[in-house]
Amino acid sequence: MLARYVVRRVVASIPVVFGVTLITFGLLHATSGAFVPGLELNPNLRPEDIIRIRNNLGLNDPLPVQYWHWISGLLHGDFGRSLVDGSPVLRHISDRLPNTIELTITAILLGILISIPLGVVGALRRGSVIDNFFTFLSVAGVSIPSFWLALLLILLFSVSFHAWGLPWLPSGGAESAFGGGDPIDRITHLILPATCLAFVYIAIWSRFTRSSMLEVLSQDYVRTARAKGMSERRVTYLHALRNSLVPLVTLIGLELPGLVSGGAIIEIVFSWPGVGRLALERALQYDYTMVLGLTTFVALLVVVGNLLADVIYALLDPRIRYA
Amino acid sequence: MAVDQTTITQLEGTPVQYEGGLARPAQSYWSESWERLRGSHFGMFFGGVLVVLAVIAITAPLFSAFVTHLAPTSVNLNDSFAPFSRAHPLGTDELGRDTLTRLVYGARVSLGVGFLTVAIYLLIGGSVGISAGFYGGWWDDLLMRFVDILLAIPTIYLLIMITSMLPLPIGPIIIRHDAFSLSTIIAITVWGTVARLVRGEVLTVKNRDFILATRSIGASNLRLMLRHLLPNVLPVMIVAASLGVGQIILLEAALDFIGLGVQPPTASWGNMLLNAQSYFYHSTSLVILPGICIVLAVLSANIFGNAVRDAFDPRLK
Amino acid sequence: MADHLLEVQDLHTVFPTKDGVVKAVDGVSFHLDPGETLGIVGESGSGKSVTVLSVMRLLQRPGRIASGRILYKGRDLAKASDPEMQEIRGEEIAMIFQDPMTSMNPVFKTGWQVGEPLRLHKNFDAKKALKEAVGFLHKVGIPEADKRADQYPHEFSGGMRQRAMIAMGLSTGPNVLIADEPTTALDVTIQAQILDLLRKVNHDFGTATILITHNLGVVAGMCERVMVMYAGKVAEQGPTEDVFANPKHPYTWSLLRSIPRLDAQEHEPLRAIEGLPPDLINPPTGCPFHPRCPFRIDRCIREMPPLEPVGPTQLATCWVTQAGRDLNEAAS
Repeated sequence: MLARYVVRRVVASIPVVFGVTLITFGLLHATSGAFVPGLELNPNLRPEDIIRIRNNLGLNDPLPVQYWHWISGLLHGDFGRSLVDGSPVLRHISDRLPNTIELTITAILLGILISIPLGVVGALRRGSVIDNFFTFLSVAGVSIPSFWLALLLILLFSVSFHAWGLPWLPSGGAESAFGGGDPIDRITHLILPATCLAFVYIAIWSRFTRSSMLEVLSQDYVRTARAKGMSERRVTYLHALRNSLVPLVTLIGLELPGLVSGGAIIEIVFSWPGVGRLALERALQYDYTMVLGLTTFVALLVVVGNLLADVIYALLDPRIRYA
Repeated sequence: MAVDQTTITQLEGTPVQYEGGLARPAQSYWSESWERLRGSHFGMFFGGVLVVLAVIAITAPLFSAFVTHLAPTSVNLNDSFAPFSRAHPLGTDELGRDTLTRLVYGARVSLGVGFLTVAIYLLIGGSVGISAGFYGGWWDDLLMRFVDILLAIPTIYLLIMITSMLPLPIGPIIIRHDAFSLSTIIAITVWGTVARLVRGEVLTVKNRDFILATRSIGASNLRLMLRHLLPNVLPVMIVAASLGVGQIILLEAALDFIGLGVQPPTASWGNMLLNAQSYFYHSTSLVILPGICIVLAVLSANIFGNAVRDAFDPRLK
Repeated sequence: MADHLLEVQDLHTVFPTKDGVVKAVDGVSFHLDPGETLGIVGESGSGKSVTVLSVMRLLQRPGRIASGRILYKGRDLAKASDPEMQEIRGEEIAMIFQDPMTSMNPVFKTGWQVGEPLRLHKNFDAKKALKEAVGFLHKVGIPEADKRADQYPHEFSGGMRQRAMIAMGLSTGPNVLIADEPTTALDVTIQAQILDLLRKVNHDFGTATILITHNLGVVAGMCERVMVMYAGKVAEQGPTEDVFANPKHPYTWSLLRSIPRLDAQEHEPLRAIEGLPPDLINPPTGCPFHPRCPFRIDRCIREMPPLEPVGPTQLATCWVTQAGRDLNEAAS
């Protein structure tokens, strides 16, 4: 049953994948044309060399042919080569992706660990001072630009703590230039960016858990559970929470696609060597094929992420599978 | 007498109800929603803050001419990193430019882009959503698949990809890193969710009797969409718009901050923060002040947006 | 006075709302003896569900018991602590609800849910509870109970779910089973099956049953005694046969006349009760039924009658019948 559902969802996402490649490729060529950074400016190249190089790069082929070459490469797992250093895009991705995932997963775990208890407490003490305080925090949480929060954290924990002679946290990078590679060093570098990223998740998810919990608590089956004579704790944490987590998992599932892109800005502020920072660095160097490859790759991950979220959802809520 | 008047109003009200009244939520919906909105003092207060910020943004040149007597770009290298003073109420940056003046001009960018982008994406998303929901069939499939595709590409990557190619000549016009172009570009990347929302709403309204009735008296498709469907989906669009402004301000500030938005020397809150990042040790206020401005604008937009949603969302009733 | 299994005395339950305080249950008294079946009848909003939810202490916020006593085996449940109530619920008093579609938790398997009271109250381990649950599912007439126990509630039909709910209620062997409109959400043919099942349960297990319904026919077929409620108050109570043959409250009288009957006199018109149910925030003065009552006297408008014996077996809140008049005779 579940297998058939998964197959159906996979088939449905094929046109989306195809469309994504069409859009990213089309957009790139509509905007950059066949511009190769630095090529025309290089004094060592004769005009005929330039033409030859362009021919070799396939830039003088008709667009459909270029698209065909590109997408057949994609089908073989070839995301193209950088225009700046000629290295395969995929190699850069495989260098950077683990860092990005490490950052995002840490933030998501932090977010889940903190937001669910906050949401449950808010729902159980609806209208209390503590509930109102959480509400305010979450509205503020989604109103604070993550990169500014990042600057403030750096200002406090790196710059000021350093100045005051306190133990301070590094303001950027994933490991120290000297003595890197040690897990403790890595964790100290991870703390600030992960906290920053988790902040937004907490703001959104705690609110969501609260409203979902309130809705579930008013359901008939919660009354049935109480009528069985169980403690309020068991009603809340077993019967109600399990149900209110179903929509929350979808919401967190919506972050699954963002696993790589969600932290892009944070990566940039903290110089975290992830995919998002790579995209920006290369965009600023007009490395179009790299940006195209990265964007396509990330979009494919989004499609896969959506798929995974649907499957998890189906696993958690048995009603979905038969719909 | 009183009884007579009531009767007359009712009689006069009847034909109106047949023509338009059935098509849109009852007249009282708008006044009721408005009443609810006015009843939310918290929401109205922050709505007021938003209006004040907008007025400051619009009158920025007057402010610069008569209050600070400084232009946002006037450099004075002898006066860099000046502390708060009478001449510079919020100090100066590394080039001796007046921070207050620059913040006031920054409001123009943030609020301008915020409102303009929302207007554009409502237009695109609304048109796509209404026509997809109204015509259905292959047209609906095509448009909604396109929305799926668009939403699959992370906004920030799409924006990095497009904005890094600016300036970009398209025919006679050149698209640059200015507020207007950025609004258009951001709107083009984010209209998908609104289109989905509007389409869903159209689907629920489309098959109600009044649309069939209007069709039966021979109304054109365009008239059906604009006169009869649009008023019904307007509430969800209002809600989407009110919650969108804050998000767009954040997104635009982030673009400025990574250097792909509004370019210096034009002041924006985002690029002021980018600039301040290099001078952590010189001036803390340069890091803090633009951020406070962003938070104030976004917080006001979000709280007011929540109040609008609570007042207008037909599904919350 | 003999000790009853359950005795409710002058129960008042209120729901504060922004428009005012709703007196959902306004001075209700009744009792239930071991093995007995009591029907509670009334239109929607008459307070019958709120009455039993008060007994179970399962009122939704902001509802609360304002005053009154709920004596179960001599203990006052109105004053019992939450842990004490948890011991009572499911173990001593079980309850099944109107809509079996929404009353079971969609994310747990049926057998697990049916066995849950056993794990809670009898300290059964999961395996033993499941085995027992399958046995009960079988007893309430679910075919292939062992397979069904492994399915989720949404894979059950409405009737099957209500059977499962009954199994869940019975599993701990409670003394009282409260069924709140257990058949309202079901098809007519299924309704009859569920009622048969409830009758069988009462007979085989000796579980005292409170059946809430708005259907007088259901009460006639099932209950030894009946309590009729109107506007949060008791209109009348007594043995079902006596109440049906000789109603002592004009509301009961009107209700009985509004049922279509196969043995009706030729051309006898079917009578609907005229007027609307009362507003519970600002109830009418005196007897709440007086605006709709064909037998109304002046005193009814001024003063609420107490619940007093009328005739040898019945109790009623009506000045007219308490004064000795017979409604059937008065109407003809």
